[in-house]
Amino acid sequence: MMTETTKTTPPSRGTGRKFDWQYFLLENITGSRYQTIWITVLTLFTAFFAVDQFKKAPTLVLVISILWLVGVAMVVVGALFHRQTEVSRWLKDNLLSSVSNTVLSLLLMLGLGMAARGIALWAFINANFNPAETAPEFQTTTGATWGVVWGARKLLLTGRMTPEDSSRVTIALWFIIVMWVLTYITSRPALRDKFKLVYKVLMGLWLFSPVILYVFLAGIANAPYNTSVVLTGLVIFLAIYALFWSQKIARFSWTNLISVAAAWPLIYTVWWAIGRSEIFPLINVDTWGGFMLSLIVASAVVILSMPLGMMLALGRRSEVYGIPSWIVWPVAIGITIWGFVKTTPQLLADSRSSIEMIFAFWPLAVLFLAYMLQRTFSGNVVAGASTAFIELIRSVPLITLLFMGIIMAPFFFDEGISIAKPWPVIVGYTLFSAAYTAEIIRGGLQAIPVGQYEASDSLALNGFQKMRFIILPQAIRIVIPAIVGQFIGAFKSSSLVSIVGLFDLLGIVRAVLSNPQWLGLRREMYVFLAIVYFIGSFVMSSYSRRLEVRLGIGER
Amino acid sequence: MVKTPPASLPETETPPFWRKAINYMFDLRFLGVLGQIAFILFVVVSMKALGGNFSKNVNRLGESQFVCRDGSFSYRCAFDFMDSEAGFDVSDTPIDYETTDPYWKVFYIGILNTLKVAFLGVILVTIVGTFAGIARLSKNWLVSNLALWYVELMRNTPLLVQLFFIYFGVLLALPNIDKAKQLLGMPIFLSNRGLNYPSPQLTSSASIWMAFLVLAIIQVQVQGIILNRKEERTGQSTNRLGAGIASFLIIVAIGWFVSVAVSDSQGLLVSKASRIQNLEDIEKNVLKRSGLNGLEELSTLSEEEVSAIALQICALRDSASETNLTAQLRAMNIPYEVTRSGRPDQSIKKYEEGKCEVFVAPKTVIAAERATLENPSAHLVLTVREKPIVWSVPVREGLNINGGTKMFPEFMALLIGLVLFYGGSLAEIVRAGILSVTKGQSEAARALGLNESQRLQLVVMPQALRVIIPPLIGIFLSLAKDTSLGVAIGFPDMYAVSYTMMNQSGRILQIFIIMMLVYMLISLAFSLALNWYNERVKLVER
Repeated sequence: MMTETTKTTPPSRGTGRKFDWQYFLLENITGSRYQTIWITVLTLFTAFFAVDQFKKAPTLVLVISILWLVGVAMVVVGALFHRQTEVSRWLKDNLLSSVSNTVLSLLLMLGLGMAARGIALWAFINANFNPAETAPEFQTTTGATWGVVWGARKLLLTGRMTPEDSSRVTIALWFIIVMWVLTYITSRPALRDKFKLVYKVLMGLWLFSPVILYVFLAGIANAPYNTSVVLTGLVIFLAIYALFWSQKIARFSWTNLISVAAAWPLIYTVWWAIGRSEIFPLINVDTWGGFMLSLIVASAVVILSMPLGMMLALGRRSEVYGIPSWIVWPVAIGITIWGFVKTTPQLLADSRSSIEMIFAFWPLAVLFLAYMLQRTFSGNVVAGASTAFIELIRSVPLITLLFMGIIMAPFFFDEGISIAKPWPVIVGYTLFSAAYTAEIIRGGLQAIPVGQYEASDSLALNGFQKMRFIILPQAIRIVIPAIVGQFIGAFKSSSLVSIVGLFDLLGIVRAVLSNPQWLGLRREMYVFLAIVYFIGSFVMSSYSRRLEVRLGIGER
Repeated sequence: MVKTPPASLPETETPPFWRKAINYMFDLRFLGVLGQIAFILFVVVSMKALGGNFSKNVNRLGESQFVCRDGSFSYRCAFDFMDSEAGFDVSDTPIDYETTDPYWKVFYIGILNTLKVAFLGVILVTIVGTFAGIARLSKNWLVSNLALWYVELMRNTPLLVQLFFIYFGVLLALPNIDKAKQLLGMPIFLSNRGLNYPSPQLTSSASIWMAFLVLAIIQVQVQGIILNRKEERTGQSTNRLGAGIASFLIIVAIGWFVSVAVSDSQGLLVSKASRIQNLEDIEKNVLKRSGLNGLEELSTLSEEEVSAIALQICALRDSASETNLTAQLRAMNIPYEVTRSGRPDQSIKKYEEGKCEVFVAPKTVIAAERATLENPSAHLVLTVREKPIVWSVPVREGLNINGGTKMFPEFMALLIGLVLFYGGSLAEIVRAGILSVTKGQSEAARALGLNESQRLQLVVMPQALRVIIPPLIGIFLSLAKDTSLGVAIGFPDMYAVSYTMMNQSGRILQIFIIMMLVYMLISLAFSLALNWYNERVKLVER
């Protein structure tokens, strides 16, 4: 032991101006057996790689090697004479800090250089950008045929919409763009006070923008005025208001009451009037496609899954007084006995396969459910149902839910009802997304310190008030970045709807690729798709990072 | 100090019965319970209505899917279709499968495929993610930036687009199978029909060798105990590890030679006229035909000439006998050509017609087939010795590659896509985990004189694992679920197989229920196993 220690202890270092070779070798190459082997292998591999690539692109390899040599020389000279310039210091810190790093840098520079050369050759230098020359006879293996992107732009943007409908899409697009720009301008701190009213109007428009976009993109049917819908809506609005008022989270005033009562009839009448006037006739939703459909699916899913997810999260954490066991157990045991006595013998007699026989013992499932309800949730059905929903959804793949929406949903409705494909897909996707959103929001709720809950309890706030005024405002602020991440995920995963036969961006690309005019341009199209998704997601994620800083998450 | 009771209790009126009842009615707890019971009833009733509607709609098209009739007797048969013939082909099957097999078997294949991708994916993604995560923190600017861009690229593009690019843009753009790329000079072939690589194959003599293997393990244990006692008795240390390895290797080697020597289940059918008595005679035979002095001179011949003098072998398709014989022939440098057929009677017919000189198969098969020959006594059955494990090596034969194991491009694309995609997510988690270990720990490790890899292995990683494991569970679960995307590129995983089954049989609800249950079971198993591991890591930490 002792001898080893003395052997590996480096001689005192850097006392004089002389460069200590012994120490340098020990630190970089002969420090341990593994280090030596690693450096040898790395150097040999790099040398072979350089020689191999030299045949392909001599100039590039030479230029990179010379640049590398110059860098090494600068660092070595700087180290020997203790005079580092800014460049050589940066090189020493970042690229050439040790022998293995130096060789690795050369290898990576060569690899990156060759990759960049290959990409440049394929994507730019040998590429053909002419939209007219995309047919297979114009295609080459050495260069890309980018004309397809421009040639198929209409399909890629809006899918197979008829020309008279696509003007409405353009208007909707401009509406959103103008809204974005105005919001961006008015939300600048300097201008915010000047344009307070504009900002408020914009926020209102954003609130209604899903409806406005729906009207533009799907249209309103010319339906007769339905009084029962008006009355039902009115009752529901008033009931919600009454609930809020009774739980003291909405104040009572006659103006409020009248505006709540008038809101639904007003909205419905306007809706009906627009439908009657046929300014926005119905568009066949099945023709939606391309980038538009991807955006529609992603936004609809995020907007719809937000309230649903919040309900599920609150439900999972609910502390409602559960059904007492003296109700659960007698009922469950009663059902079990009834099932075993009345149905099981018949089912057993009717079944011929083992799976069927297992199903004959269904009363045991009731008993099991009752046990779970009592044991895990102490009779709380709200928490039990929310948890079961979330966990079941989270344990199956998204694609099975989309499939359920599109193939199975029609079987659950009466004959003759046909639904456009996007709706069941959005519903299935929303269920999936809501389960994940619920878990995010639950995380936010759990991140709130217990003191906040206790403080609101000690202020004698009721459950609704506690949530509305104390907990949710803080929890939502915490989870906003995660929700943006969820939106990015929804935007990316919206490509899955192409598997169940929707023509979203990916689906329309596959359709484009089967067109004889653009046959065989798979690489080009998939690279283009990746770029589109990358830009979209990257912009959103950097926005979310900025948001995180602005909201000061993790700092307050 | 005795508490004196108040002179007179305040007179409380017991509220009348109806008052109590009303109080109960408006009690929030009572209302809540009532609401929950109503909710359960609502769910039950609506499920029943939906189910009724469903079966009505399904049965509208034909006779009932759920109740069958056998004369006057009616019985439930919702799942009986699982036993009927599937009738569709599956490309990538881990177990033997034919289109005449029942539905449950094809579904089972789907489950196996899903599990195969999930398990391999989980292992590979751990490696890739850990490397990328450590590379993100590298001192080398190029390495860390490369890792950063890898992560950003993976996180910001959809998995499905990546899968399509890898499958259509990369794997299907590889050369055709007749121009397959040979990797690193080894018998590994990469083409647009997949990757062919050598694989070990257990022969019938493997059981003997396995017995020796078990014996060796027992011997090592016993020896260990004996040496341990001796050490305790004498107080002198012995080289227990070396002795264990040595005795293990010796016994295994003896087992190897014994199993080769006693193996006689593989037979080789030759005609007496060919005068072949053992494998060396084949060499002479071939040499005589070619007129060469030695097999070393084969390289001077052209391809046609070699195939003219090659030994013609008849074999059963995918048989270990063929692998065993050809491995020995290759070792002796004897050229050969194999004609494969599906059934023994086809092979023997070819043998009888003179299409091949020898027929290689297990002895029992050969004995049965020899009896069907016109003049059985004119043919000999030779014994081919077999090693317990033979390498099945892919060989180019005309426009195809035979032997070895084949990895289908769909499988490769799915695996590569999943591993790269989730590797990017895992890299961030690993990075966050490593960063969560305070700087002082690293500095302390350095102060103790640990080198970089020791520092990572012994100090940083064990602490980082605590932070890494919980999100890792989520990544593994997502990976297992996203194997279902294989359907988009034609990989027969459980979802793809179920989808075809639904289209074929029309039994949508039943198959859907089974599929969902299996997915849930897989998720449950994964999360249980990983949570168990998480508990262990936690305990070690404290």
